[in-house]
Order: sequence, then C-alpha cells, then structure tokens
Amino acid sequence: MSRFASSFSVEFNELNQEIVLSGRMRPRISEEMASVTDVVRRSLLESQNTVYVNLKRLTHLNMTAFRCLEDTLINACKAGPQRNIVIVTSSVIAWSAPLFKTLASGLPNLVVEIYDSAFYPGQTFVEDESFIPILRTQTKMTWRHEREILRRHGLRDGMAVADICCGIGDFATLVKRHFNPTRLLALDHSKKSLEYARQVAEDFGLKSIEYTYGDASQMLMADSQFDFVTCRHSLQIFDRPDVLLRELYRICKPGGRVYITNEKNSHCLGEPHSETIRWTYEQVAKLFSHFDMDVEMGPKSRRLLTDAGFDAIQVETFMVTNLDGDPRDFADVIEAWENVYAGQMAVRRGDPPEFIRRFRQGFKDHVLAALHPKGYAGWPIWAASGRKPY
Amino acid sequence: MTVQHLSPKPMEFQDMMALSLDVSFFTSEFRLCDVIAEYLADIVAQSHEDPARYANFSSQLINEIVEVAFSSARAMSKVDFKLVKNGLCIRFSVGFLYEKDSSMPWATLCEPAAASPRHPVHDLIALAQAIEVDIHAEADADDRVLLVADFHAREAVH
Ligand SMILES: C[S@@+](CC[C@H](N)C(=O)[O-])C[C@H]1O[C@@H](n2cnc3c(N)ncnc32)[C@H](O)[C@@H]1O
Repeated sequence: MSRFASSFSVEFNELNQEIVLSGRMRPRISEEMASVTDVVRRSLLESQNTVYVNLKRLTHLNMTAFRCLEDTLINACKAGPQRNIVIVTSSVIAWSAPLFKTLASGLPNLVVEIYDSAFYPGQTFVEDESFIPILRTQTKMTWRHEREILRRHGLRDGMAVADICCGIGDFATLVKRHFNPTRLLALDHSKKSLEYARQVAEDFGLKSIEYTYGDASQMLMADSQFDFVTCRHSLQIFDRPDVLLRELYRICKPGGRVYITNEKNSHCLGEPHSETIRWTYEQVAKLFSHFDMDVEMGPKSRRLLTDAGFDAIQVETFMVTNLDGDPRDFADVIEAWENVYAGQMAVRRGDPPEFIRRFRQGFKDHVLAALHPKGYAGWPIWAASGRKPY
Repeated sequence: MTVQHLSPKPMEFQDMMALSLDVSFFTSEFRLCDVIAEYLADIVAQSHEDPARYANFSSQLINEIVEVAFSSARAMSKVDFKLVKNGLCIRFSVGFLYEKDSSMPWATLCEPAAASPRHPVHDLIALAQAIEVDIHAEADADDRVLLVADFHAREAVH
C-alpha cells in the first residue's frame, strides 16, 4: 500500500525497436503523463516498419493515463500508416489486453499481442513439462539440508512467507507442513507448474497456500508484506537477477529476510570418472551462459545481496550427495539433467554429435558414481540470505 | 454499463465492509484513491483462487470508480464505500452527492449519456465494457448517486 499511485518508467530500446512501459500509472491529470507520452511519441516517430510497445510490466493504469497513451498511439498510427505498432501485453495483468484491444479495432496498423513466452532466456526449457519430475526430486533431496538451513537463516513458525518462482510448489508445501506460516504465497510464471502445485496441495489437504500466476520481476503484491521471502534455483536463470532481487526486497518487510539458493554447476563432482564428470559440468555452465543464464551464480550470492541493499548477509554451502537418502533419486535427477541439457539445449545451440556424445558421457559417469557401491556423487548449492534494513 | 441489472436482490447480500469518509478529507489528497482502491480490491480478491491477480484486476475498475467519486462528490458531504457479497458476486458501491448544477444525467447512466466524453463516467464505462464487469448507477431522492460494480467469482483472470 505504500507504493505511490504513480511510479513508472519508460525506456526505448532502439536495437529491439521496443518501448517498455512499466510500473504504476495513476496520475491525477494528463499533464503528469507528459514525460511518458513524449518519449513514446518520439520513439514511435523515430521507428521504421514495426515497433513494439511492451506493457507486460505495466501493473496499474488509470483511464487518465490510458487516454494519454491512446492519443499518442492514434496520432502515431495516423502520421505513419506504413509503420506497424505492436502492443505487447502479458496475461498476468488480466485487464491489459482487453483494454488495449479497444484501441486496435479502429487502427489497421496497430495490433495487440498477449505475449507470455520469451519472458526470460531459458523459458522454453524451464517451463517444459519434462522439468516437473526433476524439480520434485531435487526438492526432496535439498529439503534434507534446507530444513535446518532455513532455521539458521531465520525462518520461524508463524511467519508470513513468500516463495517466488515456486515451480511445482513442493517447497511451499514442505514449508507449510514444517513451519506453519500465518500466510504463504507461492508465485510462478508457469501455468502448468501452478496447476500441478494446486493439485499437490489439494491432495495433501493443504488449503491456505496462495498460488499466484505472476512475473517475479514485476509482482502485483504490495510492499513489505512478508517476513521471509525465498527464491530457490531461480535467480540464476534470469539475465537480470538484480531486477528480481529488487522485487524480492520490495515485498519483504523491513527486518525480514530474503533467502536465495543457487548453484555452481561446474563444481558438480563424482568418483570414479572425476575427469569426464568435471568436463561435462564445465560445459553445462558454458551452455547455460550461451542462453544468458548463469548457473555459476552460487558464490556470487553475497555480492548480489549486498548490491541489492541487504545487510546481515549469511552464506553457506551444502552438498547434495548420493549418500543422502536413496542414491537412485540422485541418479534420476542426473538423467533428467542429461535429457534437458544434452537432449534439448545443446541441440538447440547447434552442437555437433561428437560434442553431444562426450557431453552425455559425463552425465552417465555421474550416474554411475551415484549408484556405485563405493562411488560418491555431489551437487553443491549455495544458500544465502540477507536482511532488509529497518 | 448495464441499465437493466440482472443481479440478485439487494436483501440477499451480506455486508463485508463499509467505509464512510468526509469528502473534504477524501479529496485532500489524490493518492487516497489509489490507497482505497488497493485496500478494497484486496478484500474483493481474498477468497479468489489467485488473490494477487484478482486484486490487480478488480483494483483497475474500483480505482476508476473511486476517482469518479473524487472528482464529482460535492464538498461538505460524505462518500460511502461499501462491499457486500452473496453466493454469486461481490458488489462494490460508492455513494456520494454530486454537484447540483451538474447537467449530466447521473441517475440513468444510459448509453447516450455515456457516449458523451464530457460525462464523468464516460471513461469508467469504457473500461467496464472492455474488461466485462457489470456496473450500473442508482440515484436516490437526495441527489445521491450510487455507482455499483459486481465482481463475479467466475471472472476471467486465467
Ligand atoms: C529452476 S526452476 C526452480 C523452481 C523451484 N524454485 C524449485 O526449486 O524447484 C525456475 C522457476 O522459475 C520460474 N520463473 C521463471 N521466470 C519467471 C518469472 N519471470 N516470474 C515467475 N516465475 C518465473 C519458472 O517457471 C520455474 O518454475
């Protein structure tokens, strides 16, 4: 509630021919929109052929602001009938597409598109349904460690908790059962994962988890709502982790903590065959970086949290190994990684069959290390948290 | 804007909340429109399957209604915000006294009146139609107007 009625930004990205409007636009009078309409008007006039007006992160808009944008768009459409204007909205903001579609009917060179893909670089891989079983087993393995780690980072019974980028919601159900929060919100941008999450919660008779479909980089919740905000294995898949951290900071209460986990994939290890395993996981890191994702982020957590304004930062590492619980679980996860990383991502990058064969071999050796009666396989994770200052 | 309103009879509604403010206080700061709209939208959305998104959706219209009251309510009177519910919908209403010399036909927010861009509810109607939420107006003998929006649980935010 403490956010200002109007706190918005407008940027023009010349390279992509994209005008990005974001934030809350609820001005009292149209004059307050002058700086925005000016940028929009000039950017539209400068652009040739097709120009995108990205409204995916425009969360609030009153009709005073809408009418200003409408005038600017209508004038630009008339001034350049050869120019196509594509208004890009997201289905997270349910009013946005229907409202802007009222404009498009009278203007042949203006279209409205609901654009929920390409939200972040690796979305096609991460939101693929084949990821669901991996996330399940991963959480089962990490929870053995995190259950205690979370206490050390300040999670207590009866807090208001948010799990951002919750995936299929397993972590939220575990938090619900073990920490009994007064409020528990779980947000993700994958509808399939959320559907699954709701089903799991229902099966366990867990009623009060608020699952919400949303964009972590521009959330719809008000400021300072939660005592403990978690974001696990997800900062590392964003090309702009700072933007996400800013939102995690915003929804956290002063004195509350934001807890993040990230990997350093090149440090996955195993014996025997340590060399082939090491080579493969170094390639994993390079592969992700090709798609603008940083799965080497773990050790950078301290810097990221500090730069985002947190204090009292805690960082610890833990290693998920084949000795925790059933080694078959670990082997299943590695096989799933192989399927997605070698079977999909490397293929998409255009890697030659010889590379893919060698790449796969490291995963197979890692599985072998996990299942070998004398073998050892490990997956290191960095758990870090920071306090939002009072 | 529906003129013939098909919603259930008012007596079937149960009170959820009511807020009555002096117009002079309410209009002292425009930012209050946003604060009130967000507060009410959170209540409207609280039992929705996806409260955060539904609150954002409903606050879009509630804010516009609150802004109409902000710019049209007569000084030295009260503005009343109310939420009631029945099994089908949550009804939001704002009641206020409008300026006596207003030539605009508030009582019958019918299509021709709405078509005039000068009418204070013109934009509100355009928004309600776009996002398919039923709104209507009622007026009483004291020149008080009641702007009413019905939010149905089924409303599409999927
Ligand atoms: C690697 S998974 C981690 C999921 C979960 N935290 C876990 O540990 O199992 C990353 C998750 O981030 C979600 N995600 C990616 N971009 C998002 C965005 N902009 N807003 C919300 N969720 C997003 C994906 O849908 C996916 O579920």
